[in-house]
Order: sequence, then C-alpha cells, then structure tokens
Amino acid sequence: MSDKPKTAASQGLASCHLCLKLVSVDVHVCPRCGSAIHLRKSNSLERTLAFLVTASILYIPANLLPIMITDQLGQPTESTIIGGVVLLIDMGSMPIAAVIFFASVMIPVSKLAMMYYLCWSVRHGPPETARQRTVFYRITEFIGKWSMIDVFVVAILVALVNLNNLLVIRPGTATVAFAGVVIASILAAESFDPRLMWDQQEDNNE
Amino acid sequence: MDQTDVGKVSRLAERLACHSCDLVFDISVLDDGESASCTRCGEFLTRYRADELERVIAYSSAALILLGLACSYPFMSFKSSGLESTMTLPQTALNLWHYGLPGEALLVGAFIVLIPGLVMLLMLMLAIALVLEKHYRWLRPVGRLLFTLQSWCMVDVYFVGVLVSLVKIGHMATVIMGLSFWAYAVFSLLFVLAISVLDRVQCWHRIEVLSRP
Ligand SMILES: [Zn+2]
Ligand SMILES: [Zn+2]
Repeated sequence: MSDKPKTAASQGLASCHLCLKLVSVDVHVCPRCGSAIHLRKSNSLERTLAFLVTASILYIPANLLPIMITDQLGQPTESTIIGGVVLLIDMGSMPIAAVIFFASVMIPVSKLAMMYYLCWSVRHGPPETARQRTVFYRITEFIGKWSMIDVFVVAILVALVNLNNLLVIRPGTATVAFAGVVIASILAAESFDPRLMWDQQEDNNE
Repeated sequence: MDQTDVGKVSRLAERLACHSCDLVFDISVLDDGESASCTRCGEFLTRYRADELERVIAYSSAALILLGLACSYPFMSFKSSGLESTMTLPQTALNLWHYGLPGEALLVGAFIVLIPGLVMLLMLMLAIALVLEKHYRWLRPVGRLLFTLQSWCMVDVYFVGVLVSLVKIGHMATVIMGLSFWAYAVFSLLFVLAISVLDRVQCWHRIEVLSRP
C-alpha cells in the first residue's frame, strides 16, 4: 500500500495556487514565487456563494434591460437578448439563433446552477461522484469567459454600424449588467476549491 | 533539485499535488513531449517540451507584432446605401466610452487588447531571460503577474464575437474585412498557442533554478 498516491494534505503538505510548489503546511509564503500559501483556498464556499448570488442578481437586469438600441432613420428600436434570438428565428437564421441562445441563455444559467450544485455537494453530495463533479467544475471553469460573447458582439456592432442619420447602433445598459454576470461567475469559479469535494472522500476513508 | 537535461529528458526532482484533488505525483522523469495527468481525477498536471521556451519566444514575439498591426489598420468597413463606416480594433472599446459606458469600455479594451498584449510581452521577457539563463530580480513578480492575468484574456472569445456580428449584419449591408481583421485572426491563433505551450510547473521550476545563489 505504501506506493499508492496519497493526498498532499494527508502528508502535511500544501501546494502553492500559483506555481504549484509543494511545501510544508506551516509555510505561509511560497519560497518559489512569493504567493501566499493556503492548504485550501480561503473561505472558498462563502466567497463562491457571494459571487454566485451577485451574478444571479445581475442576470435579471441583463435580461430585462435593452442590450442594444438600433436607430433606423431616427427611429430607435430597443432589443433585449431574448428579443434578438426571436428576431433571428424570424429571419430564418436558426443556426445563429441557436448559437446566441446557447451562449447567452443556456451557458450562464447552467453555469450558475452547476456552481450552486457544486457548493451544495461539498457538504451533502455523494462522495463517490467526486470525479464526475470535478469534470463538471472543469467544464464550468472553461466556458465561463465565453458568455462575454454578447457584450463583444454589441461593442463590435456599435463601433461598426454608424451611418449618421441612416443607421446607428447604440449600446444598451444590459451590456453592463451582462459583463457583471460574466465577471462575477468567473470569480465564483476561481474561488471554488474542487479539492473540498475530494476531502470529503478522504475523511470517509479514514 | 537539479535539472540536468540528459538528452531530451527532464529531471525535476519534484513532486506535484493535483490542483483538483490534491493527490501527490512524482513528475521527476518526463520525456520530451510527454505529459503527466492525475490518475484519480484526470486533471492535466504538466508537460515537458525540450523546445518550450524557443516556441514561446517565437509565438509571443509574432503575436505582439500582429497585435500592433491589428491596432493600427482598419478592422472592418460597413457599406449601405452609398454610406460607409469603418471601425478599428481600439474603437470596439472607445465607442462604448463615447456612449457613456466608460467602465465597460475599459473592461472590453482590457480583455481583448491590453491584458493579452501585456501577457504576451511578459511571456516574451520571461522566456528570453530563461533561455539566456540570466537571473533578474523581476523574474518572480513577472511570473506571478503573467499566470494571474492569464484567466482574464478573451482573445478567442472576441474573435468568435466578430464572426457572430458578421452573420448578424451580413444581410443588412456589405461588410469588408480590413488588414486588422486578418492580423487579429492570426494574433488570436498565436496567443492560444503561446498560452498552451508555456507550462506553469516547468516555467517556475526554471525560475527557481535560476534564483538559486
Ligand atoms: Zn508559488
Ligand atoms: Zn486529481
């Protein structure tokens, strides 16, 4: 049994979050890169939940407020995220409508739901699903920044479509809320410590 | 802790804890191109490449040149009913500022140009110092900044955003791609390559070896 890999924590070791150096748990500053060392990310669950709640709250104005305003011959038309998807379906661009719907609605919502579940699972989830949950965490972490696509599309259209009185596209306030959702959810994913899900399993083994 | 490159084998007398599940692995012997992953959760741990630094220097210096080009030429033009409007890459952010969203303008500018450009520059500095095997006092802070900023680069996301915008307005008018568009396309490719080639563990190990008196 001696060559079976053991966890760092069970050997009194902690790893640096930045350069991954393994040091004894009583070392507080990484000798290699100078970062602060914690056995686990500090207040991981509390911080993750705080960012998650922020993201969830911001998600409401992100969907209710207009994401962009189109001035056609001086006539302003406001559009929301869902409104844009409906418009694309009406125009017959189903694939693009599907991409936008997936990126702006499905990804942020499922990412938030998944993070809430992961936080809950640290204390209450079945330990044998830790591997599966780690994969879920990795997916959520990876897709986080892709929700920013809507904000970029609006920024590009605003910069590009500017034909004086004929056609002008202006950014709506929802873009600010939406950028907030993306940043808060990236911070939530960064604050979450997947090792907490495995610690539960370690405790059961002992 | 000696790193002696006997042929093309890395020997870091080092152990590494998986950052997803905390299991400790011995990564002391890795062949050129060989990578190590966690056996319990599948997390990628590290990869050794004998030519890692040379590749980083090539990708990041080319990326910086292309980013410079992308910022100084027209990105796209939009033509309709005899009227034309042209945008540049920095205008993606600057126009948001003009419409009264300065915070968002800063975020967009930071995610697509400023932070990615800084990351490429820091990577280039670090890789050159490590290739020359010269120790500088700034190695550690530069390394820390580099690996912290990496998660705030959205070069690839922006490029896909450009493609989505094209489809959204392609039917309304003629859109012409400028030199900057192609420069940014190649920049995003080089950026992704540079990020994926520079291995965090190998890089810090090299810094550690150099910092030793
Ligand atoms: Zn460190
Ligand atoms: Zn693992």
